[in-house]
Amino acid sequence: MLQIALSQLKMHAGRFVAIVLAVLLAVGFLSATLMVNASTTASLVASVGQDYARADLVVSPPAEGAHLSEADAAAVARTSGVAESYAEQQLQIQAKVGETTIGGLIRNLPPSERLEPVALTSGSWPTKTGQVAVDAKTAAARALTIGSSLELLPSGASSSAHEATATVTGIMAASTDPQQSWAAQFAAPADTLSSLAGGQAVYSSITVAIAPGADGATVASALDAAVHQAPGSVMTPSQKTVATIKSFTGGSDRLTIILLAFAAVALLVAGLVVANTFSVLIAQRTRELALLRCIGASRRQIRASVVVEAVVTGLVASVLGVAVAVGVVALVVALLAQNPRYQYATLAVPASSIALGLAVGTLLTVLAALLPARAATRVSPLAALRPSDEPSLRRVAGRVRLATGVVLAALGAVGLGIGAAKGNLLLAIPAGAVSFIGIVLAAALFVPRLVAAAGLLAAPAGVPARMAAVNAVRNPRRTTATASALVIGVTLVTMMMTGAATAQTALSSSLDRHFPVDMAVNGTGGVPFTAQQLADVRALSGVEASAVLTPVGSVQTHSTPRAAYAPVYAISASDAAAVIQSPADRPAPGGIVLPRGATATPPAVSPGPGASGSVDPRSASLAGTAGTATDLPALVLPGTLQARPGQLPQQVWIAVDPKLDGSAVATLRTQVAQALGVQESEVSGAAIEKATFTQVIDTLLLVVTGLLAVAVLIALIGVANTLSLSVLERTRENSLLRALGLTRGQLRGMLALEAVLVAGVAAVIGTALGILYGWLGAQSALGTFATVTAVIPWAQVVAVIVVAAAAGLGASVLPARRAARLSPVAGLAIE
Amino acid sequence: MTTTSESTQPRSALHDAVTARGLRKTYGRGETAVEALRGIDLAFPAGEFTAIMGPSGSGKSTLMHCLAGLDTADAGTITVGGTELTGLADKALTELRRDRVGFVFQAFNLVPTLTARANITLPVTLAGGKVDEEWFGQLAATLGLQDRLDHKPHELSGGQQQRVAVARALLTRPAVVFADEPTGNLDSRSGSEVLGMLRRSSREMGQSIIMVTHDPVAASYADRVVLLADGRLAGSITDPTVETVLAALAKVEG
Repeated sequence: MLQIALSQLKMHAGRFVAIVLAVLLAVGFLSATLMVNASTTASLVASVGQDYARADLVVSPPAEGAHLSEADAAAVARTSGVAESYAEQQLQIQAKVGETTIGGLIRNLPPSERLEPVALTSGSWPTKTGQVAVDAKTAAARALTIGSSLELLPSGASSSAHEATATVTGIMAASTDPQQSWAAQFAAPADTLSSLAGGQAVYSSITVAIAPGADGATVASALDAAVHQAPGSVMTPSQKTVATIKSFTGGSDRLTIILLAFAAVALLVAGLVVANTFSVLIAQRTRELALLRCIGASRRQIRASVVVEAVVTGLVASVLGVAVAVGVVALVVALLAQNPRYQYATLAVPASSIALGLAVGTLLTVLAALLPARAATRVSPLAALRPSDEPSLRRVAGRVRLATGVVLAALGAVGLGIGAAKGNLLLAIPAGAVSFIGIVLAAALFVPRLVAAAGLLAAPAGVPARMAAVNAVRNPRRTTATASALVIGVTLVTMMMTGAATAQTALSSSLDRHFPVDMAVNGTGGVPFTAQQLADVRALSGVEASAVLTPVGSVQTHSTPRAAYAPVYAISASDAAAVIQSPADRPAPGGIVLPRGATATPPAVSPGPGASGSVDPRSASLAGTAGTATDLPALVLPGTLQARPGQLPQQVWIAVDPKLDGSAVATLRTQVAQALGVQESEVSGAAIEKATFTQVIDTLLLVVTGLLAVAVLIALIGVANTLSLSVLERTRENSLLRALGLTRGQLRGMLALEAVLVAGVAAVIGTALGILYGWLGAQSALGTFATVTAVIPWAQVVAVIVVAAAAGLGASVLPARRAARLSPVAGLAIE
Repeated sequence: MTTTSESTQPRSALHDAVTARGLRKTYGRGETAVEALRGIDLAFPAGEFTAIMGPSGSGKSTLMHCLAGLDTADAGTITVGGTELTGLADKALTELRRDRVGFVFQAFNLVPTLTARANITLPVTLAGGKVDEEWFGQLAATLGLQDRLDHKPHELSGGQQQRVAVARALLTRPAVVFADEPTGNLDSRSGSEVLGMLRRSSREMGQSIIMVTHDPVAASYADRVVLLADGRLAGSITDPTVETVLAALAKVEG
């Protein structure tokens, strides 16, 4: 039977193209996901590891966020076997270059270049106080050259700040460590750092070079003892790198899981296409199989033959899929590495990604072929003796399957309804999945009927159209399977679109309850903003109004569930009207506005916890009202209370032009931060949050739609495949029609209409389901903290339907051409 | 022309390739029920070339399907090469077809993806057995197929395709070869070639052959013609000629 299976594959290679394509895409997706994950880790190793690459051992602090002390550093240096050690101190600083202030990191230099993590590109390493090295990237951006001078001051400078003037003596390569690469990087002798920080130096790590001939493990355990730590805190550079990456790739792992979920969807759809194609292949071979049964092939041999076909096809497709994945990931990494910012991008192709891709792809194909293979064994030997028998698989889908589908759909729908009503995503997700599986299982109940009903619409277009409608449901099972594959893809795409649109609207309204203003800027404690800075902000385009809030003190509030101190600010009535969105959040004479849900009876305004000073006696007579936003400080009109701000900084509130889009808001945020001389993180507010999450949702939607498009693409290959096999099957019939006077064009049109009917109905069903799932999903996810109204992105939804129907039309082109090329006589002669 | 009733009676199974006793078969039920076979007793002696004839709907195809183990009778017993078919499971029936029975059909005899040689040896390869190369060569030579063995079916003429099918049927030296209208799709020259080949294999190699046909010319190649009408035996002709067959058919149909 091996011989028969192989000769099948050789003779009819074309019929297996669809299977190969479907499995190729799904396997490629799966393998690429695993490779992307491995490559991300490898790239991080290349970048994070840079700090430690030249060391033999690394001593880390005992815990995340802790530090090593000067005593530790001394102990390490004293340990026998240590040739050299570099206790690295890192400070966040601000550097004033001319008029601009930039955020940066400064570190001390190692005792010698032996443990220096980056290379010097020009000039020389600083040796004296007042000298500094700067990274090449910053030097280029800020026009710093050797001999330039700049001012360094600690971040969050207080009055005790030690400002230091420094001269650039060297330019060094920029670190690729993602923990540092965001900032301007400086390196200076240790005494520069101690004068900036004051007090005892604390170290983030100590790298060690061991003496020639010393044993690494012995030195490591000696170091453990020296810094009084549990074994394990002294690691080799590669161990340290892995540990560091682990501490911040939680997000990347989640990404992998999400990607794998999409790969699973692609695999599922591919499985449907494979099963469907095999059913058709077997239906076509009914007589051949019957002949084999007649001359003595056992059922087992028939099944084995189909399975061998599946194994070979699956393996070939999987090998191609893995190869494509390697190619695509390698290309992406190569392109990324061209960009100086990502030059550390490293391709990693783990054996597991190849093995898993091959195994899953082959297994999937074989599993999908098992049911059709069973159908093949049921072919009766007598079928060979009926010369004009049409191969057919006209068997009603199993009652058990339909019943299971209906029950699952009903149970899932109930669960999903409850999940949506209660805002319980943990219930809604599995319930939604169960209901969808149920709908797909029971699809045979409604898909052929809907296709037939849609066919009625085409009836007025003439006999060929009516025949197309009948042909589309001639084999209800096949139609159902073909449509189901498309329904799955379209449902998921539409669900994401509707969910995103609904979530965006819901989040938008909930943000207004959080933030009273578009943009709020926190100043630096004790340092008021200058008039020039405020004028600069007002001059920025996109700023409609701005107001300065003067700190007055803190008020103890009894907001549920616990009491808290809210800062109290004074804002003039005209300013409040200009920048505060909700009138309820604006202070009135003799009143104090408190955060949403907070009460204070009587309001007791003091300089705040930790600051000296008593309660302002005038505050008790204020009428406290709760505002509409949770992120609201307490507000009073100027002059109501005596200003005793404690450590509270000034705030600047800004009303932003509502027409600005996400990137414009991001730019404005940077401009505002620069104008006011603060870190960007100190600029917050509704406009920024909206811009951020709109950007996040849009990006996610784009990525997710792209990923799901793979599933839709596979399903469309299935449509083309089913149609071309139907055409093969109906060669005689189509020839007869041509002989009876059907024109070529009419024949092509008939087949096109058949494809459009199936694809169109699948797209409409998928869209309807997707909208429902998207809305219920958003309701479940956000129902507890936002009001969710279904928002249907009509333009996108219509686009999906049009694309699916058009793709169905496209899928019919090749099969229809083949059918139309056949001359009437030739077709009739084919036995 | 001799029309005897004795020769249709079952004889000792030892000398018979195929026997049928009390064969009944009904399709459908109730008002639409069709009695295809209404009690058939027949024996096909080993080495004999028998033609089964009868008008359309006489039950001749059903009879052959039952005798070949492709279909099951409602009542009665069948033996093929001494093996009782009644009650055999699918696996045993499959093995019987593979090892003891040969088939030649009207059309679609060959697996289109395999060469002529692979088609001929298929039953042996299915059984995992070894091809008797000497016998294979002899068959190929007798059937004039030596030059065509590496061709695919679509590269062969209709007559050549049928000869490949005959070679396949004969290769396993089965107890009986069933031929279902083997010349139905052939022109008369190719048809007589194939029929001559069947007769030679019966006379020279002692091969038992049972052929269903409606063509009196084809039937005249047989040793004996069995006539069926309305699911019953309607007589038989030994050493038939075209004329005797036509006369007998006219009588049955009349």
